[in-house]
Amino acid sequence: MYNLFIFIKKYSAVILFILLELLCFLMVAYSLPYQNRKMVSVSNSIAGGIYKTTSNWNDYLHLKSENEKLAKQNALLMNMLGEDYSEDDTLITNGMYSFVPAHVIKNSIYELNNYMVIDKGRADGVEADMGVICAEGIVGIVVNVSNHYASVMSLLNSNTVVSARFVDNQYVANVLWDNQNYHFGVVKDIPSHLIINKGDTLVTSGFSNSYPPDIMVGTIEETEDNTNEMFSTAKLKFSTNFSTLRHVFIVKNNYQEEIDSLCITH
Amino acid sequence: MYNTLTRNILRFVGLLLLQILVFDNIRLGNYVHPYVYVLFVMILPFDTERWKLIINGFLIGFAVDIFSGTPGLNAAATVFVAFLRPFIINVTTRKSDIEGKTAPTVSEMGLKWFFFYTLFLLVFHNLLLFWLEAFSVKLLGLVMLEVLMSVPASLFVIILVIYIFQPIKK
Repeated sequence: MYNLFIFIKKYSAVILFILLELLCFLMVAYSLPYQNRKMVSVSNSIAGGIYKTTSNWNDYLHLKSENEKLAKQNALLMNMLGEDYSEDDTLITNGMYSFVPAHVIKNSIYELNNYMVIDKGRADGVEADMGVICAEGIVGIVVNVSNHYASVMSLLNSNTVVSARFVDNQYVANVLWDNQNYHFGVVKDIPSHLIINKGDTLVTSGFSNSYPPDIMVGTIEETEDNTNEMFSTAKLKFSTNFSTLRHVFIVKNNYQEEIDSLCITH
Repeated sequence: MYNTLTRNILRFVGLLLLQILVFDNIRLGNYVHPYVYVLFVMILPFDTERWKLIINGFLIGFAVDIFSGTPGLNAAATVFVAFLRPFIINVTTRKSDIEGKTAPTVSEMGLKWFFFYTLFLLVFHNLLLFWLEAFSVKLLGLVMLEVLMSVPASLFVIILVIYIFQPIKK
């Protein structure tokens, strides 16, 4: 017994080291798949407050460009409203989506799975799976909500798949992130008979319930020549500049429950 | 005792804020991520017990983790650095070198020694950190590149910080 104490005393640092490393490894192993959840729990506490303060300071430095963006956003929202009212069958589209404005208080763009934290949460009617857009285009999807904050899986995430539509010919393809650069994504599953050109525009298809249709996704930057296969891929430039993101809108589908209930029963 | 404690708390908070508010936002390209908070563990006095080093390493690492939403990641790397620190000091100095010196800082040990000391520790820190990060997303090829690019950046930033906050007396 005495020898045991001697042993522990002698190697106390090593034992402590091994224990702490094990603890850390366990935390890493258990946290990374649910990193988003951690982001939210973080933003509730002191960290959220500090990030919010610094983001408030930062906002002053970007007032001008932010004003321009918001003006654009206003125009976009007014357009949506206009379209809705001009529809004959107002029941289908009128008031289908409502938009909750929010601030991005933390944003990552250089990780392999990027998330951001916004300052609206359950108290403001935000729920998981809602889409997030900004004046320039789509941003991501809400993955986790606390009372006053929500974490958003950004487009810059290896789990991202967005159903997008070519404006020119209405064909639908899937948009993913290229895992490298925050400017570019990949368009997959383009039928190979389709001729695509640099500069072709992609917008959301509206097939997912998260994003309303016709929100800008990006433009084709580079086409790849793989005519032998069924589907071709292309490089896409996101219209959203993720490095300067500040004001976003959470898209609330007012008929989400109704749509979900249809999906369950069939 | 009071002075050392206050100074360490100030250093802890200062380096933590510097890391999360300044250097976490600085990324040159995709692979360069300067880590400055490791400095806290590096410049603890020579006579700090090993278990205290490790606890301190865990605390600062975990504090950074809380803010970056990556529990355990930075803590693991910093605990590793704290554990290795005595060995690195043993390897890079002779007994006579550290006699009468209180802490492994630039002002006491000279820039050249501090440069290599920091380099060694940063390599181990970055290796474990990027490996752990990549391990969980299965992209191991990036690790070496990230270490290669980030270590010089961290080294530069750390020496810069030292010269800004702790002017060398001649």
